[in-house]
Amino acid sequence: MGCNLDKLTSFKDNCGFGLVAHLKNKPSHQNLEDAIESLSRMMHRGAVAADGKSGDGSGLLLSMPDEFMRKTANELGVDLPETYAVAMIFSTEDGEIDTFKKHCANNNLKVVLTREVPLDTNALGKQALEILPNIVQVFVIPQCLVSHERFDALLYLTRKECEHELKSNPDFYIPTFSSKVIAYKGLVMPTTIKQFYKDLNDEDFKITFSLFHQRFSTNTLPRWRLAQPFRGVAHNGEINSIDANRFNVNVKMETIDSDVFSDEELQRIFPILQDGGSDSASLDNMFEFLIANGMDFFKAARSLVPAPWQNSPHMDADLRAFYEYSSTCFEAWDGPAAVSLTDGKHIGCLIDRNGLRPSKYLITKDDRLFVTSEYGTVHVDDDNVLERGRLQSGEMIGLDLNYGKVLKEDDINNYLKSSQNYSKWLANDMEYLQEHVEATFADHSEYSFTDLEKKQRYFNISYEVLDQMIEPMAKDAKEPTGSMGDDTPLACFSTKHRNFTDFFRQKFAQVTNPPIDPYREKIVMSLNTGFGHIHNVLKEQDSFAKRIKATSPILMKEKMDVLVSYGDENHDRYDSYYKNKTFSTSFKTNLKVSLESLYQDVKNSIVNDKISIVLLDDRSLSSSEKLIPMPLAIGYINQHLKSDNVRQSVSIVAVTGEVYDPHSAAVLIAFGATAIYPYMMYSSVISHNERKNLSEKALIKKIKNTQISINGGLMKIMSKMGIATVASYRNSSLFDVIGLSDEIISDCFEKANSDLAGLCYEDIEKRIELSHFDAFVNDKTMFPLEMGGIYKYIDGGEYHDFGPAITKAINHTKDLKGLKTLIEGRDKKFIRDFFDFKSDKKEISIDNVESKNEIFKRFAAAAMSCGSISVEAHEAIAIAMNTIGGSSNSGEGGEDAARFGTLKNSKIKQVASGRFGVTPAYLRSADELQIKVAQGAKPGEGGQLPGSKVNAMIATLRHTTEGVTLISPPPHHDIYSIEDLAQLIFDLKQVNPKATVTVKLVSTIGVGTIAAGVAKAYADKIIISGADGGTGAAPLTSIKHTGNAWELGLAEAHNSLKANHLREMVHVQADGGLKTGIDVVKAAMLGAESYAFGTPLLTILGCKILRICHTNKCSVGVATQNEELREKFSGTVERLIEYFDFLAQDVREILASLGYSSLDEIIGRSDLLEVIDDEFAKKFDFQNVLRRIDGIDTCQVKSNDPYDKNEESHELLKKVMGTIDDPSKPITINAEIGNLNRSFGALTSGEIAARYGDAGLAPDTINFNLKGVAGQSFGAFLSKGVSIYLDGAGNDYVGKGMSGGKIIINPAQQGEEFSGAGNTCLYGATGGKLYVRANVGERFAVRNSGCITIVEGTGDNACEYMTGGIMVTLGRTGINFGAGMTGGLAFVYDKDREFIDNMNQELIEHVRIDTDDEETERIYLKKLLKDYIVETKSEKAQFIMDNFRAEIRNFWMVKPKNMTVLPLNPFEGE
Amino acid sequence: MLKFTEIDRANPSKRGVMERIKDFREVYEVYEEDQAIDQAERCMQCGDPYCHTKCPLHNIIPAWLKQVANKDLELAFNISNETSPFPEILGRICPQDVLCEGDCSLNETHGAISIGSIETHITESGFTKGLKPKFNTNSTKGKVAVVGSGPAGMSVAYFLLREGVEVHMFERANKAGGLLTYGIPGFKLEKQRVQRRIDFMIDAGMKLTLNCEVGKDISFESLENDYDSVFIGIGATKGKFAGINGEDGNNVHLAMDFLTAVQKRELDEEVENFIDVKAKKVVVVGGGDTAMDCVRTSVREGASSVKCLYRRDEANMPGSKKEVVNSKEEGVEFVFNVSPVSIEASGINLQKTTLSEADESGRQRVSIIDGSDYLEEADVIIMALGFDQELPQFIKDSGVELDKWGGVIINLDTKQTSKNKVYCGGDAVRGADLAVTAAADGKAAAKAIVASLNI
Repeated sequence: MGCNLDKLTSFKDNCGFGLVAHLKNKPSHQNLEDAIESLSRMMHRGAVAADGKSGDGSGLLLSMPDEFMRKTANELGVDLPETYAVAMIFSTEDGEIDTFKKHCANNNLKVVLTREVPLDTNALGKQALEILPNIVQVFVIPQCLVSHERFDALLYLTRKECEHELKSNPDFYIPTFSSKVIAYKGLVMPTTIKQFYKDLNDEDFKITFSLFHQRFSTNTLPRWRLAQPFRGVAHNGEINSIDANRFNVNVKMETIDSDVFSDEELQRIFPILQDGGSDSASLDNMFEFLIANGMDFFKAARSLVPAPWQNSPHMDADLRAFYEYSSTCFEAWDGPAAVSLTDGKHIGCLIDRNGLRPSKYLITKDDRLFVTSEYGTVHVDDDNVLERGRLQSGEMIGLDLNYGKVLKEDDINNYLKSSQNYSKWLANDMEYLQEHVEATFADHSEYSFTDLEKKQRYFNISYEVLDQMIEPMAKDAKEPTGSMGDDTPLACFSTKHRNFTDFFRQKFAQVTNPPIDPYREKIVMSLNTGFGHIHNVLKEQDSFAKRIKATSPILMKEKMDVLVSYGDENHDRYDSYYKNKTFSTSFKTNLKVSLESLYQDVKNSIVNDKISIVLLDDRSLSSSEKLIPMPLAIGYINQHLKSDNVRQSVSIVAVTGEVYDPHSAAVLIAFGATAIYPYMMYSSVISHNERKNLSEKALIKKIKNTQISINGGLMKIMSKMGIATVASYRNSSLFDVIGLSDEIISDCFEKANSDLAGLCYEDIEKRIELSHFDAFVNDKTMFPLEMGGIYKYIDGGEYHDFGPAITKAINHTKDLKGLKTLIEGRDKKFIRDFFDFKSDKKEISIDNVESKNEIFKRFAAAAMSCGSISVEAHEAIAIAMNTIGGSSNSGEGGEDAARFGTLKNSKIKQVASGRFGVTPAYLRSADELQIKVAQGAKPGEGGQLPGSKVNAMIATLRHTTEGVTLISPPPHHDIYSIEDLAQLIFDLKQVNPKATVTVKLVSTIGVGTIAAGVAKAYADKIIISGADGGTGAAPLTSIKHTGNAWELGLAEAHNSLKANHLREMVHVQADGGLKTGIDVVKAAMLGAESYAFGTPLLTILGCKILRICHTNKCSVGVATQNEELREKFSGTVERLIEYFDFLAQDVREILASLGYSSLDEIIGRSDLLEVIDDEFAKKFDFQNVLRRIDGIDTCQVKSNDPYDKNEESHELLKKVMGTIDDPSKPITINAEIGNLNRSFGALTSGEIAARYGDAGLAPDTINFNLKGVAGQSFGAFLSKGVSIYLDGAGNDYVGKGMSGGKIIINPAQQGEEFSGAGNTCLYGATGGKLYVRANVGERFAVRNSGCITIVEGTGDNACEYMTGGIMVTLGRTGINFGAGMTGGLAFVYDKDREFIDNMNQELIEHVRIDTDDEETERIYLKKLLKDYIVETKSEKAQFIMDNFRAEIRNFWMVKPKNMTVLPLNPFEGE
Repeated sequence: MLKFTEIDRANPSKRGVMERIKDFREVYEVYEEDQAIDQAERCMQCGDPYCHTKCPLHNIIPAWLKQVANKDLELAFNISNETSPFPEILGRICPQDVLCEGDCSLNETHGAISIGSIETHITESGFTKGLKPKFNTNSTKGKVAVVGSGPAGMSVAYFLLREGVEVHMFERANKAGGLLTYGIPGFKLEKQRVQRRIDFMIDAGMKLTLNCEVGKDISFESLENDYDSVFIGIGATKGKFAGINGEDGNNVHLAMDFLTAVQKRELDEEVENFIDVKAKKVVVVGGGDTAMDCVRTSVREGASSVKCLYRRDEANMPGSKKEVVNSKEEGVEFVFNVSPVSIEASGINLQKTTLSEADESGRQRVSIIDGSDYLEEADVIIMALGFDQELPQFIKDSGVELDKWGGVIINLDTKQTSKNKVYCGGDAVRGADLAVTAAADGKAAAKAIVASLNI
C-alpha cells in the first residue's frame, strides 16, 4: 500500500542454471563434480562481490546420495531402513528443530538422527557469515508401515505444518524434506560450495542427478533461504504474471479434492504459497503441491508453463486439445523462464513460450545429460559428444530415471496428448459463443439511448475522445498514435472530470524481464477467454472440459445475448451451471456503503442461488442514479469473493460505459473482469457516424473495428509486461495506483502498487457528484458534448504544462524571467509543485555559489534521434551542449561519422533495441554509452519508422537502404534479464573502456529494485525518466497511462540504491518535464546528480507542440525530414545557450537563497523540502517522495568496474597492438578459449575503431585461431580487418553488432543436428561475415543490417526485424521466420518442404531461384557457398555444390514483399 | 488534414472591382463546399491550438475545420454555433489576421488557414441546408432585459435564449443590430445577415422593442424592477476628434456619422444630415478598420478621389490587412507618415512624420519632421480616430460604480457591475473594440446570469 518502504529492499532475481544427470540413473561422485564445475563456470551470470566470496546465493538440488547418507548414519550409530528421508533445515532460533520434530511425531514420522551439517565457514563472505543459520539434517523413517507414496505425502504435510507454525521467523527454512532429493545451497559461491559443505568432498557422496543454480538478485540483501534450487524447481527468468498466478492459486484451492490428502490434511497444508518468496519460489510451491498430490510430472510442468497453442496452427490437434483442456483450470505462469524440475523420478527442463531464456543441452556418448544456460560449462571431449542442442521456444526435454530414456519434445507431447481423449471431451462440453451467433455487431438495438449525450458526458466521452480515440479506432482498427509527451497533471491532482481508470498507471517490463512484441510475435499471444467454474485441478475428467469460450474478452450484444441465454430458464440453451444475474452498479448516495451492499448482493446470489456469471451493469445511470466506478466494483467484488472462498465458481462480466480505450479495458481485466461489454463505445461510434450515410456493412465494420482495436491494445498492454495470454493477465493487478487512499486500495486493489495515498471514498464520491451534475443538469444546446482537453489543449479543459501560453513564450520571449514566473505560477499540477524549500541555513551571497560552468556539466539533452528530429535541430542541440560543456545525446539512430570529434559530436551515444547505426566507431566516439531500456512516453514498447520516412540520410545513418521500414523491437533482444544486461554493459565497456555506461529506466513503483540490479550489473549511471517524456510516435494510451512521474521513481531509486549500499557506485540522472531552476534543485534534493531536458529544447528551437511529429509534417522544421519543411527551421544555438545560461543562473540564485554553495551539497537532501501548507496538499501522503534514509547520497567512484577484469582479452590486445598501430604487419594468434572468456574481440575492435573508424583494417590483418567453447558475445562489435576462426562452438550473441571482419565457427560435429552458436547472434550487425558449420539458436540475425552469414540450421524467430545483409541456412529454421523483416535477403534450404509453415508471411515472400529470371540470385548463392566451403569445409555445403542442379530446387529465396532492388553485391563483406 | 504542404492558402474569390464599387453588396463570395474542404484540410490540428486560444470567443476552430474536411457539416455547424453567437457574421467582419489566423501555427511558414472564410461557409451552408440555432424554449429560468441590440446585446440574448431564459431587448434605433447594422458597411456585411439572426431569436421568444431609448422612453429603474437581470450593451458611439484647429468646419465629419447616414439610406430609412461626397475629394484621417470603411464607402458614393491619411507606416496599421488591400484595389490612395496639423476650407494641413525606436511596449513612437508641413487638398474630411464611451444619463443615475474616467466598473469574468443584477459589456465598457470581443462579453455575461438564476 501507500507506504512503499518495503519496496526499497525488495528484489527480482535471474541467474545461471542447469542440470546434470546420468541417463541410466547411475550414482557417481563425478556427477556432483560436474554439476559444481558447470555452476562455477557460470559465475558471471550471478552477482559476485569484490571479495569473490559473496554473492546472491547458489545451490544444488541432488538426488539422495544414498550411499553417503547410510554411511553417515551408520557412523552415528543409526542403521537406516530402506525407506527414509532427510530434512535439510536452516534454523536460526532455539527450539525450531524441536518444533520440526514435534510435527514429525504428529504425522507418524520417526526421527532417527539429527546431524549438524559439517561446514567450513572460511568459504563465506562477511555478510553471509553474519546471517549464517544453523544447518541441520534430520533423518526420519516411517513410524509404522506405510506405502512409499504415503510416506512422501507425510513428509510434505509435516514440512508445511512446521513452516506455518514457524512463519514468524522468516529465516527458518527447510530447503528440502524428501526421500528422493536433498538440497545443498546457500549464500555461497559455486567455487566455494564444496569447501563450505564438507559433505560434498566425500567420494562416497554419489548422485545420479543434480539441478543447480546461481542467483543474481537485484538487491544486496541476500538471504540464505532465497538461494535456489527449491524443492523441485530451479528457475532462470522472471514470472511476469506472478500476481495473477498467486491470486489464482488461492482461488484454485477453494475446490481442491485430493486422493493423497484428506480435506482435513489439506487445510493443514494451506496456504501452499510461502510468504516472502520469489516468483520462482511460488512456482516451486505450486509445482510441488501438484506433484505431492500425485499429479503427473509432465502434465504438471506443461500445465504451469504451456507451449503457445492458441494461435499455433502448426501444432498437432490432439496436443492443442490437451492444452485447451488444461487451460480450463490453469493459466500460464508467463514470462521468461527456463525451468529445471524434478520429482525425484523424472527430471526435465522447459522454456517459456517465447524462448526468452537460453537452455542448452549436451548428451554424451557415456550417458550423461547436461542442460545449462551456456555451452562449454563442462569439459567434454569432442568425440564424446553425442548431441549438442538447445530447447526452442516452449519446448521441454526430460529424463525418466527409471528407464534411462531421454524424452524429447515429441516424446513428451505424444505422451500428453494420448493420455486422455481430450479432443472428445472438448467436443462434448466446450461451447464457443461464436457458434451461436449469426453475425456480430449487426444488432444495434442496445446502442441507442434517448439521453445518449448526457451519458457520454458522464463517461467523459467528449468531442476529443470521439475524434482522437473512438473514431480513429473505428476507422483504422487500431489505437491511434500520438506524439510528444503527456504534460497534464495526475488524475488525483486534476480539477477536471477524469476517468476513474486514470488513477491507474500501466506496469511495464524493464531489465529483469522483457516485453514481448505483440505484432511480430503474435503467435504467442492470446485473448482466449473462458466462462465457467475452476474445477479441482488435481483430477482430470471429461466434465471438466465444460466451458463457454470466447476469442476475446470484449463482447458485443450478440455474444452477450448468447452468454446470458445459458442462464435463462426459458431458453433452450439453459444450463444451470451457467446461471447468471445482473447487478446494477448505480447508487444514489454513499459510495462506500453502496459498494459494500453491492458486494453482499453478489455474494448472496452466488452462495444462495448458485449463480456463476455475475453481470455488473451500469446502464442504470440516469439523472437520479450515479455510478460506482466499475474498477472499484470489480476490484472490491473480486477481492472479497476470494477472501470469502467463493471466487472459483464465478466469472465477472462488466457491462459498462467506462470502457472505450484499451487502457480502461485492461484495468478491469487486471482486477478480475472476465469479459467486458463496452456498449457506450459502440453507441458512440454509431452516433458519431450517423450523418455519414454509411452502408449497414460499413457501419458494422466501424463498430467491429473498435473491438479489434481494444483487442490489439490489450495485447499491447499485456505484452508490455511480457505477458502473452489474457488468462495470465487477469487478476494480475499490474498497475500502479496513484493518489487513492489506503482504505480504497486495501478494499479493492490490494495487490496493486500504490503511491501518494490520498483520495478517500468521500472525495471520489464528490467528484462523481460533480460529474453527474455537469452531465445531467448542466445542459448544452448546440453541441451537447464537452470539447475535451485531455490529449490536446482546450481552453477551460485540463491543464497542459506545454499549453499555448507557455509554449508561445518559450518560442519567442527574450524575457526568460517572465517565462519562469509563468511556469512557476501553475499551482499544484505536478508532484514537485507540492513542495516548498525549507533550508536549515542562512542565505549566502551568490558570489559564493559554484559557477555556471560547474552546473552546465550536469545538463544533458534527452535522447532524440537524428531522424525523429531534423539534422538542423539535432546539430543545434549538439553544438549548444558542447559549447556550454554539457552533453547532447545521439538518440537511437546513429550519427554521421563526420560529426565525430567535432563540436557537433554527441557525447552521449544511445544503444537502443533497434541498434540502428551502432558500430564500433559510433561507440568509440562517445563519452557516455546510454542503454535505453525504456522510454518515458512508451515504456515496454517498440517503435516503427515507416519506409516512406527513411530517406537517404536516415538510411545511411542507420545502415540500411532508403525506403526500408525500420522496426525497433520492444525488448533489447540481448537483455531478457539482469544478467543479460550485465553482459551488454560488459560488452560496451570492452569496446569503449573509457565511456560511462548508462542505463535509462522509466519511473514506476519498483524501479528502485531495478536500479539496484542495474548498479550490480556494473552500470556507471542510471537515468530515471518520467512518464511524461516525449516521443515522435506512440499509441495515445501509452503516452497517457504508462509509467510514473519522475519524482516517484527518482526518490525510490535513490533510496533503494542507498538501502543496498550501491548509491556510491552509480551516478543518478533525472529527466521529465524539467524547465526551471526550481525543477532542477528539487530533482537534486530527491537524489539526481544530473538533469536532462527534451521538449523544452525543441520548443526553444521553434517547436510549437503541434503533436504531429509522427506525420513528418512538422511545419517549423524541427521534427521532420521533409526538405521543404526543414527550410522553415528557425532555431538557433544562441537561444539554447541563453536558456541554459538562465537556468544555471536560476539554480545558483536558489542555492544562494538556501545557503548552499553547490549542487553537490544538496543532492539527496529531501529534508530541505517540505509539503506546502495547503488544504488540498494535506490529502496526499508524500512520504515516499520525501523519505530520506541514512547513507551516502552521491556517486563516489569514477566508474563501476565489473568483477570480471577480462584479463585474457587485455593480454591479447597487447599482442595485437603492434599491428593495430602499424597495420602493414598482419598477425595471427593461436589460442584456447573457454566460456569464461566473454566479449572476445570487442576490446581489439574498439582500439581499431578509435584509430581507423568503421573503415577498420584491411581484410585478415589480425587473425585469431581459437579452440574451445567461447563465452557470450563472441566477436561482438567486430571491426573490419579482424578474422576469428573457432574450432568449437559459441554461446549467445555471437557477432552482435559486428561491423566487419569475419567469424568462422567450425565445430567438430558439423551439421544441423549440432549447435554451433547460441541465441540472438548478429543482433544489430552492420557488416562482416559469419559462417557456422552447425545450427544456431533463437532469433538468429535479429535486426541484422549488413552481415553476410551462412549457417546450417536456426531456431525460432530467425531474421526477425532484419533490414539488410544476406542470410543462408542449409538446414531447418524454427517458426516465425522473418517476422518484421523489412530488408535483406535469406536463402533457405528446405528439403523437407516444411519451411512455408514456419514463415511469418506478413512482410516477406518466398520465391524459387531455379528459373532464368533468378539467374543473378542463383549465381550469387553459388559464389557464397563456394566461399563457405573454402572457410568451413562443410560436408553439407559440399554435397549441395556437388549436386547443385538438383539441390538448387530445394532453396527458397526470402525477401521483403515490397523490395524491388535486391542487395546482391558479392563484394560486400570481406 | 495536414495538407498544408500540398494546398496553398486561397481566399474566397472577390467580386471584380469595377462591379463591386457600384453597390454596397458584399465583396467576398462564400466558399463553395469543395473549396472549404480543401482549405480546411490544410489544418494541422495542433496540440496547442493557438487559433482557439487567441479567439476571444475561444471558438473550437480545429474541431470545425476537421468536420468540414470530414464533410460532416452539421457537426461543424453545431460546434461552431456552440461557442459563437453569430459565426457567419464574425467570419466576415473579424480581423482574423490579428486574431485566429494571425496566431495560426502555419501563418509564418505556409500561410494561415483561412479560418474566417470557412467559418462563414459553415453557417451559411448550414442555413441553406436548413440547420438552425437551437434554443431551449421549454423552460423559463428567468427574465432578462438587454439594453442595446449590437453585438454584445445580441450575444447575451443568444446565449440566454439557449439556456431557456426569457429575453427582452430594447433598442433605440429603428432596426436591431447596432454597429452591425449601422456601422459596418454592407460591402463587408449585408444587413439581412443581421436581421436573420434577430429573427431567429424573435422566433425563439425574444421580445424586441425598437425605437425605445432607455432613460427616455422607459426608465432604467423599471427594468431593474421588472427583470431578474439587466444587461447593458450600448456600445461606444462618440467619435473622436484630433483636437486641431478647424475641426469645427462644416467640411469635417465624424466617421460614424458618415457611415450611419449611408447605411440608413441603404436601408431606406429617413436620413438627416446626409453627407454627400459624390464628385468630391475625400480624405479620411486614421488607419483602423473604420477608416477603411469610410474610404471604401466614399468610393462607392462616387467621390472623385479618396485618400487615407495615417501617422505611421503601412506595417503599423492597426486594422485588418485584407481591408487595406481591398481599399487599394478600389482606388484608394494611402498617405503614410503624416500627422494632421489644422483644417481649412481647402483641405487639411499635414506634417510628415518618422518612426523612432520602439518604446517599452514595443511600439515605435512617432516624431514629426520639422518643416515638412504641406496642405492636402480636400473637400470632405472624415475623422476615423476611434470612439469613446458615451455614458448615458440613466447609467450615471442608476448607481453602478464608475471609475475615475467615468467608465462602468465590472467584474472581468462575469461582466457584473457593482449592482448584482446589472451587467455591462462590449464597447460600452471597453471603448471602441471589436465585435468579437463584444460577443465574448455577452457570452460571459450570459453564463454568469444563468448561474445566478440557477441559485
